[in-house]
Amino acid sequence: MHRRAGLILLALAVFFAALSPLTRWYAFPRLAKIPADQYQDMVLVAKDATLLDYGTMTERKVPQVTIVQTLKGNVEASERIEKTAGRDVVVWDGLSYVQGPDGEMVSKIPERYIFDAHTQEPVHARGEMVDGDPVRREGLEFKWPFLTEPRDYEYFDAQARVTAPIHYKGTQDFRGVEVYYFEQTIPWTEVPFPRIMPVEGITRETVAKTGTTRWYTTVRKFWVEPVTGAPVYGEEIHKEELRGGTLLGDRKKVTAFAGHVKMREDYIEHTVDLVTSQRVVVLLMTSYLPWGFLGLGLLLLALALSIEARGRRAGGSGVEEPVTSEPVTA
Amino acid sequence: MRALIAAATGLALAFALVLALTELGTPTGETSPKPLLTTVPPHP
Repeated sequence: MHRRAGLILLALAVFFAALSPLTRWYAFPRLAKIPADQYQDMVLVAKDATLLDYGTMTERKVPQVTIVQTLKGNVEASERIEKTAGRDVVVWDGLSYVQGPDGEMVSKIPERYIFDAHTQEPVHARGEMVDGDPVRREGLEFKWPFLTEPRDYEYFDAQARVTAPIHYKGTQDFRGVEVYYFEQTIPWTEVPFPRIMPVEGITRETVAKTGTTRWYTTVRKFWVEPVTGAPVYGEEIHKEELRGGTLLGDRKKVTAFAGHVKMREDYIEHTVDLVTSQRVVVLLMTSYLPWGFLGLGLLLLALALSIEARGRRAGGSGVEEPVTSEPVTA
Repeated sequence: MRALIAAATGLALAFALVLALTELGTPTGETSPKPLLTTVPPHP
């Protein structure tokens, strides 16, 4: 009876001890992924910003510019791309909608971002675009990988359509959450005009004929929770200028937008709460369960060995009996 | 020998469980019917 219990405990000990590394190194990389059907919105505001009045082509100070960013997982597109990519893919259709102080549209830039659901590496497929222009992304956008490391990453800038390093600048505490702070500077770069302009009749093509060009620079800041790889907060010091051409008359340049863009307070609180709960789920697979299984396995092994030892001690005299009573046949 | 068989059984069960779980994966769901926003939402 003891022997049987010992063997069952041994089997269970090996079962749990094996589950420990299997959970962490086999199951986690395969199960942890961004859901293909995710939908999320974000509101950012730039207080006391500078905005271009396209009617008079002069810059003006405004109390607030609001940026509404929506990301919507396109499940049908991801399933279609998965067939050829051979891996789990997420397709995010995004829209950055910028609204002026009176509720008028300033710009409206759609995006399609295709990436690996597990690693967040970009996946290149037809339809990948920014504002209708085909792009080939390298590096990250919007989200860091699970178990983010304290190092520099490559980050895709949708305005300039370029990938540049985003530097790890240290570990900080953001509202009780340990975060990695990243910063990227995009120097003054010529960028395309948006396809949808705030004034009817003006298009990217008509502006191009005037010889006026659009330039942009930004300092992008992200506070990223490293377990989930999700930014809990973001800021951007963003400047845009129109330069040269007949559109500006005798002026060399005019500010199209300048502002310090920050996440709206209620969205910060919502994001911190969401990321904190998601963090527990990731930690369950990377830490709590693997260590728990290992501890349980060792405990069961110790129990199995002690039962086996007790069984041997108890059966010590009884083992010799059959030997002595065995008839000698030789 | 019986101890070896017990250990092998435990190991095989662990592999079977993890392989089955990862094979099942997670459901993909459906594309949200909610639109890409062109108005400022009052709250998250």
